[in-house]
Amino acid sequence: MSILEVKDLRVSFHTYAGKVQAVRGVSFSVDKGKTLAIVGESGCGKSVTVQTIMKLTPTPPAFIEEGSILYEGTDIVGYSEKQMQKLRGKEFSMIFQDPMTSLNPTMRVGRQINENILKHMTLSSKEATKRTMEMMRLVGIANPEINMLRYPHTYSGGMRQRIMIAMGMAANPKILFADEPTTALDVTTQSQILDLINDLKKQFQMAVVLITHNLGVVARMADSVAVMYAGKVVETGTAREVFYEPKHPYTWGLLNSIPDTANMNGNRELPAIPGTPPDLFAPPKGCAFAARCPYAMKACIKAQPEETCLSDTHKVSCHLLDPRAPKVEPYHVKRQKTE
Amino acid sequence: MAEILLEVKDLKKYFKAGSKIQLFKKPFYEKYYLHAVDHISFSIEKGTTLGLVGESGCGKTTVGRTILRLYEADGGEVLYEGKDIAHIPISSDKTYTKKIQMVFQDPYASLDPRCTIADIIGEGIEVHGLYKTKKEREERVCELLEMVGLNREHRNRFPHEFSGGQRQRVGIARALSVNPEFIVCDEAISALDVSIQAQIINLLMRLQKEMGLTYLFIAHDLSMVRHISDQTAVMYLGTIVEIGPTEEVYQNPSHPYTRGLLASVPLPDPDYEAKRTVRGMKGEINSPINPKPGCRFADRCEFACDICREKMPELKDLGKGHKVACHFTEKLNSKE
Repeated sequence: MSILEVKDLRVSFHTYAGKVQAVRGVSFSVDKGKTLAIVGESGCGKSVTVQTIMKLTPTPPAFIEEGSILYEGTDIVGYSEKQMQKLRGKEFSMIFQDPMTSLNPTMRVGRQINENILKHMTLSSKEATKRTMEMMRLVGIANPEINMLRYPHTYSGGMRQRIMIAMGMAANPKILFADEPTTALDVTTQSQILDLINDLKKQFQMAVVLITHNLGVVARMADSVAVMYAGKVVETGTAREVFYEPKHPYTWGLLNSIPDTANMNGNRELPAIPGTPPDLFAPPKGCAFAARCPYAMKACIKAQPEETCLSDTHKVSCHLLDPRAPKVEPYHVKRQKTE
Repeated sequence: MAEILLEVKDLKKYFKAGSKIQLFKKPFYEKYYLHAVDHISFSIEKGTTLGLVGESGCGKTTVGRTILRLYEADGGEVLYEGKDIAHIPISSDKTYTKKIQMVFQDPYASLDPRCTIADIIGEGIEVHGLYKTKKEREERVCELLEMVGLNREHRNRFPHEFSGGQRQRVGIARALSVNPEFIVCDEAISALDVSIQAQIINLLMRLQKEMGLTYLFIAHDLSMVRHISDQTAVMYLGTIVEIGPTEEVYQNPSHPYTRGLLASVPLPDPDYEAKRTVRGMKGEINSPINPKPGCRFADRCEFACDICREKMPELKDLGKGHKVACHFTEKLNSKE
């Protein structure tokens, strides 16, 4: 059973320049103990979606126009700030992109982890400190007795991200949202942090919602994938379906724009997606990707494509899947040579 | 063999990192130096690309900046077409500032927000007095804009009106404005989205083909470096640990650090990722301030022995120009 279900969520920001439709009908669900990866370019609404679920977007300017967010079957869209505070940290927690700015520089890291524990668990302050140390050991920081007294600036990027994870995990959340947790880190540190998140997920049976634009990270972490473009989910499915049988031209474009290291033949050109994403002040009437899509037809400009279900999990919104559409050359799957 | 355009010999750049008076220890007064670049040597042939990879803090940006003389070298030589340019006075000789240009990492910070695009691109043209009339300059700016895939109407706009990818194109146009021969791309694509990265990479490769440019491509994205570079150098804490033809380095990584680095990169293939057994390496990059003697990688290396902690390994040639700085190269390669 899915622990979190988002149905047709629409979020817009009311600004002086007009209404920005950041999220325009997003639906997905996450199962217990599984990882959902949300992929897309910057500005496609992936962070806004997650921040809306956590209710971290201030209202105004952000308004939920439509849709429902079901957490264990109850709709939390109408929840008040007080109710949300009980959920945040305890049921959901979030790891942010930039560990340099998301920790409080004036507080010792131990106290920052402790804060969450004292708020959500009925523990004495001694027990809470014990738990803080336990959490720090769990995320791989040795000697927590000493290290919990340090300030964030004395830690490196990877260690700060570990502390963020310790904070997020402190009250045993059921869902962990990770908003580009490794984008600011080096590949070697990224690998360590991804391993840590995977281990914790297995150990505590959490659901993880991972936002990223790195498809390598998606392949490593995700059970299911949602590809977002201009505020909509254009393709969703299990990781295998999205990587091996992608059906949306945008997914093809994303997969193609990574250099194929396994089958290199000289310095050939990378198949890039031309152009830039559309302006969400006035999103196009038809398919938002039509302007950049090499297969765009008249129908794409006129009407938005309906979601087509290819299997129980694999859903794609594209006019190319209509039986009347012309056949296009299918995507050539890139596989890595096994070690 | 093609002509060598740029050669770096024994380049050294230390930054002062404070000092400490210790009363009961000797030396009584200790100075700290951050060894950003520590005796580095490499050469780039004309019309080719050298990719420089490594973790943040390994000194790759400092190498690029020292070549451009944004930092003054503390030792060693930078030979451009055989002439040492690291120690000539800049003010009297602008030849080399014209020949060597740079594309910066952050397209949001590297363009002056108060200047129009035409001013940004035209500045170099003016400094070097390449064109006499205003009209000529304007023509040149338009030509450059079209060369990097922007419209000539864009020239009177300000940087904030552009997206990240477009700004990076402006940065490239600015670098090209004085007809350089050599461009240092310092993390030129790291701040961009995947699909835009591919566009910029294609642009850089096209320009290289058309104008015979030579690149020093500094990046931490290993797969992009593999795509664009002819030669790849891997840096760790101020030293080059492995250098050679790109395919050679990627297919037969011979330094434990290069192996760890390559094993850390997640690849977009779920089945492959699920089966993968070797993943990354432990630990973090050490402090570059007054580093210990011996191999810089010794503390993180699983094969480290006593000799690694005592003696700094030198670059050894494995053939085909593939050089590795490790005491146990032969041993490691024969194990497989």
